[in-house]
Amino acid sequence: MGGSAIGHIAYALVAAALVALAATVKTDGYIANILMQAATYAIAVFGLSIVLGLCGQINLAQAAFFALGAYCVGLGTADYRLPFWLCLAGGVALAVVAGAGLGLSTLRLGGHYLAMVTISFQQILTVVLTNAIAFTHGPDGVSSIGRPAAFASGQAYLALAVLALSITGYLVWRLADTRLGRAMRAVRDNELAASASGIDVFRTKVIAFALCAGLGGLGGGLFAGGFSYVSPDQFSFSDSIVLLTMALLGGVASPIGSTIGTGLLILIPEWLRFLKSVPGLYLAIYGAAVILIVVFMPDGIWGFIGRLFRTRKRSPLESAGPLALCPADSGAPIALEVRGLAKNFGGLMAVDGVDFQVRRGGLHGLIGPNGSGKTTTLNVVTGFYRPTAGAVLVDGVDVTALPAHKRTIAGLGRTFQNIRLFRSMTALENVVIGAERRGNSLVASRHDALRRRARAALDFVGLGDRAEETIPSFSYGHQRLIEIARALAANPTVLLLDEPAAGLNSSEKKVLHDLLDRIAAAGLTIVIIDHDMTLIAGVAKHLTVLNFGRRIADGETADVLTEPEVVAAYLGAS
Amino acid sequence: MGFFLQLLFTGIGIGAVYALVALGFVLIFRATNVVNFAQGEFSMVAAFLMVVFAVDLGWPYWLAFLISIAGMALLGAVFNLLVYYPLRNRTYLPVLISTIGASIFLSNSVLALYGSQAQVLPGWLDTPGFQLGPVYLDSQYLIIIGVTLALVAFQYWLFERTLIGKKLQATSQDKEMATLLGVPVAAMIMITFVYSAVLGGIAGILVAPVLFVSIQMGSTIALKAFAATIIGGFGDVAGAILGGFAIGVIETFGAAYISVPFKDAFAFLALVIFLVVRPQGIFGERVAEKA
Amino acid sequence: MALLAVTDLCVNYGEIEALRGLSLAIEEGAVVTLLGANGAGKSTTLRAISGLIAPRSGSILFDGKPIAGLSPRTIVKLGIAHVPEGRRVFPGLTVRENIMLGASNGNASSAAIRREADAMLDLFPGIRPFAHRLGWTLSGGQQQMAALARGLMAKPRLLLLDEPSLGLAPAIVQAVFKIIAEIHQRGVTVLLVEQNAHMALNVATWGYVLETGRLALGGDPETLWSDERIRDAYLGGARAKAAK
Repeated sequence: MGGSAIGHIAYALVAAALVALAATVKTDGYIANILMQAATYAIAVFGLSIVLGLCGQINLAQAAFFALGAYCVGLGTADYRLPFWLCLAGGVALAVVAGAGLGLSTLRLGGHYLAMVTISFQQILTVVLTNAIAFTHGPDGVSSIGRPAAFASGQAYLALAVLALSITGYLVWRLADTRLGRAMRAVRDNELAASASGIDVFRTKVIAFALCAGLGGLGGGLFAGGFSYVSPDQFSFSDSIVLLTMALLGGVASPIGSTIGTGLLILIPEWLRFLKSVPGLYLAIYGAAVILIVVFMPDGIWGFIGRLFRTRKRSPLESAGPLALCPADSGAPIALEVRGLAKNFGGLMAVDGVDFQVRRGGLHGLIGPNGSGKTTTLNVVTGFYRPTAGAVLVDGVDVTALPAHKRTIAGLGRTFQNIRLFRSMTALENVVIGAERRGNSLVASRHDALRRRARAALDFVGLGDRAEETIPSFSYGHQRLIEIARALAANPTVLLLDEPAAGLNSSEKKVLHDLLDRIAAAGLTIVIIDHDMTLIAGVAKHLTVLNFGRRIADGETADVLTEPEVVAAYLGAS
Repeated sequence: MGFFLQLLFTGIGIGAVYALVALGFVLIFRATNVVNFAQGEFSMVAAFLMVVFAVDLGWPYWLAFLISIAGMALLGAVFNLLVYYPLRNRTYLPVLISTIGASIFLSNSVLALYGSQAQVLPGWLDTPGFQLGPVYLDSQYLIIIGVTLALVAFQYWLFERTLIGKKLQATSQDKEMATLLGVPVAAMIMITFVYSAVLGGIAGILVAPVLFVSIQMGSTIALKAFAATIIGGFGDVAGAILGGFAIGVIETFGAAYISVPFKDAFAFLALVIFLVVRPQGIFGERVAEKA
Repeated sequence: MALLAVTDLCVNYGEIEALRGLSLAIEEGAVVTLLGANGAGKSTTLRAISGLIAPRSGSILFDGKPIAGLSPRTIVKLGIAHVPEGRRVFPGLTVRENIMLGASNGNASSAAIRREADAMLDLFPGIRPFAHRLGWTLSGGQQQMAALARGLMAKPRLLLLDEPSLGLAPAIVQAVFKIIAEIHQRGVTVLLVEQNAHMALNVATWGYVLETGRLALGGDPETLWSDERIRDAYLGGARAKAAK
């Protein structure tokens, strides 16, 4: 969604109108309560739209974070007579710390583990709230919760809640287009590609999780002030599920979707009040609805609508001049050195003591028959596998201990054999993510500078005028080019290409060949793995040949391809 | 010492229930890569079926048992078709959420049909138990342990000694290769769901006389069974069983020596500790290989 | 009539054209080898024949009957067994159990299958001592033997072998190819995809060379081996130019 000036103004106007309405229109207590519940729940659901919608991580404990905020405000104002705002801030802070802690403990593991840890946290918290009676009042709950003096009346407090809703909604809406938001979306779409683009995946996930928890705490704190009474049974696992369903129903990727989902799932049961007369019927339908939504409407209502009316494309950026490529040059002749590299997979020695040096400038091919260890070598060099032994030096600097995203910052760029682009984003956004890697001295971090550089990179590969289209609309060959543009935008010193010609037809290969020549002419060093010998021989001046994880030849292309050992490796001994 | 043994007996008894549920859960996961959040509801539904047939309708215990188990088999089959099958090619997240939806649907359907009153299911035997030295052996716990051991033995026999068990294992280990050999993979998955539902159902019927039969019993048991699979080693059959016994013992001792109201928290605390310190569990493989 | 006739086969992986109109024929009793560089479409051809992937267009006739697009289960029941790339022995099952599962395309009793598996192990003396060992503990060569034995249990008329030499040391490769020759002698027709052209052409009675999804060369092994173009298919035309 674009952030045009009109959009901002419209948002501000609508928000102001809603707040004004909330402050002035008299409604009966029942409706006011419903609106209050909807507003505070929606804030918590915004949190889910960050962690799940933007970042693709599951959180089944949002009601627990909601509870942390609620109880902070509840106990703080009722028992300790502390000012409301202090308690609210404390609740949010507590929720953020809890979220960060949970995230740090399990986000390195897969999604199932995160689901289980969040459920466990939820359960533990429920048990503590119910049983630590001396502190939490147990099942009796906390009553007489205070409000800030300025918003003591029901009407004013509702306006406060709506104001908070508007502000947080705005921040969540804008988040998607910030550097952090883009990083989250990249992690959601393709973690490996995000790493290769210089994003610290783990840190991004933890931040998303902490933000989600914080918003949960904020919603809970406001909820407590609004209803003046909280008890443990309002914040159980099934409430976490209700929040999740609200996010899914509306469309987990946007705050508008979250608001729609929350509104519907609070209002529908009111309209269908008769359903609540049979205990369990309402939630049973709820559960069935979750399944149906997941199966038939995975993007939720707003996502569905969004697909019907393709959002107006941003005004296309004009061509931005040539792409500046200034690979770091310490003066040393060797741009990339691999020393004694070994990688053992549980007994299988995939790479067994490989050395080679890549001279600065020009193209170096890394070839060998299937199973020779080329891709493993590439993955070790770029930091996706930890080596069993050996060292990798980029421009003389030892990068062996660095994780993948830091190697990108150190000057390594790469593409993947099965193309890894961020499919929900436009070509331009994909390349912007490449451009905004830390330490890219060729571009200021201002958004328009990044977009200009990205556009220049897309021009360089010949796709500049299609910059605002999303990835699925590009052919396979063009997607390959976008991946290369993304790597180039980061201004790498050494560019490693993993089977760039795979799946391309002959005219696409010609385009690739030209592109490689132009990249080399700009002074970059390229290492290319591929099986298309015609392409390799045409672009690469030097070759390193692997077989069974060992180096069997290294030298100038023409010589290497006629060496008997190389011929034997490919065709079998004569 | 007598107290210690009594706790051990109780812990193993309740642990056996967790082991059965964990086993069903792991079997589904290995075959389909699905984390089934509705596994506990299988136990709960079966317990309610028993109440309907054995208590409300007054049928003989053994007949009610057979019918309830048959009902669970049917539920497992329907579950496979409606919850797993439409999503079998999607990523783990939609499936996980879908099973959560199923869990809510099942627990609340029972609530809507039966009401929220907790029910009592009598034990299998009329004798309440007998004293063995310092330890009082509750007869229902003895039945639980006995049936669980029998089912574990059956599990072992099925997987290690029958051809169909080999086909089930092959489906878990490499679905595509199994298809290439002519193994009917969809049928194997159906069998897995039916069997897991039956296992969960038996666990529910076994433990019902010890707890109350309530809507919530399923989710509490299931979450502890999940904890058991993590501690034992995610995806490992023997690990799930041993993990179940371990959780039962940890929880019982925790309740006795530390605090009763916080009993339910111990399983989750153990889970979180394991996830942080040793995520592959006692028996599991390395969890993450990435650098 | 050829046992297997492929005509104008087009297969896509999503958008990528992996096979662009491939035609070839396999006579009963032959050992036909499919050669070519990686990415040429050799494995894709086998996957289309065994039903793992449905072709976009073209036909595959087995014994005159069309099989393109049928499920793998149906095709293996018709008599085509596929030993895929990477061997894919079930890691948690023993060698004997792996072999027994090879008979899953039939209806024999468990006892009968066990007897057949034992008989099969006699044909593979190299792995008979490991019959009770779990799949993951075997070496690459032993896994290949086990996978071949498993494939034969389906009593196939046509055996599809995908890169049996992959990742194996040269001495083991010799042993594997000796077995392939023996399989041929037992009357099984073999379609062999191989990177190692030399070993493949030694055991084959006919050969095809694929390049970017199409047939580039076809002929008897001797002719193919001495054809310069086969080297070009693997090492690029530039190699030939550079040498001159």
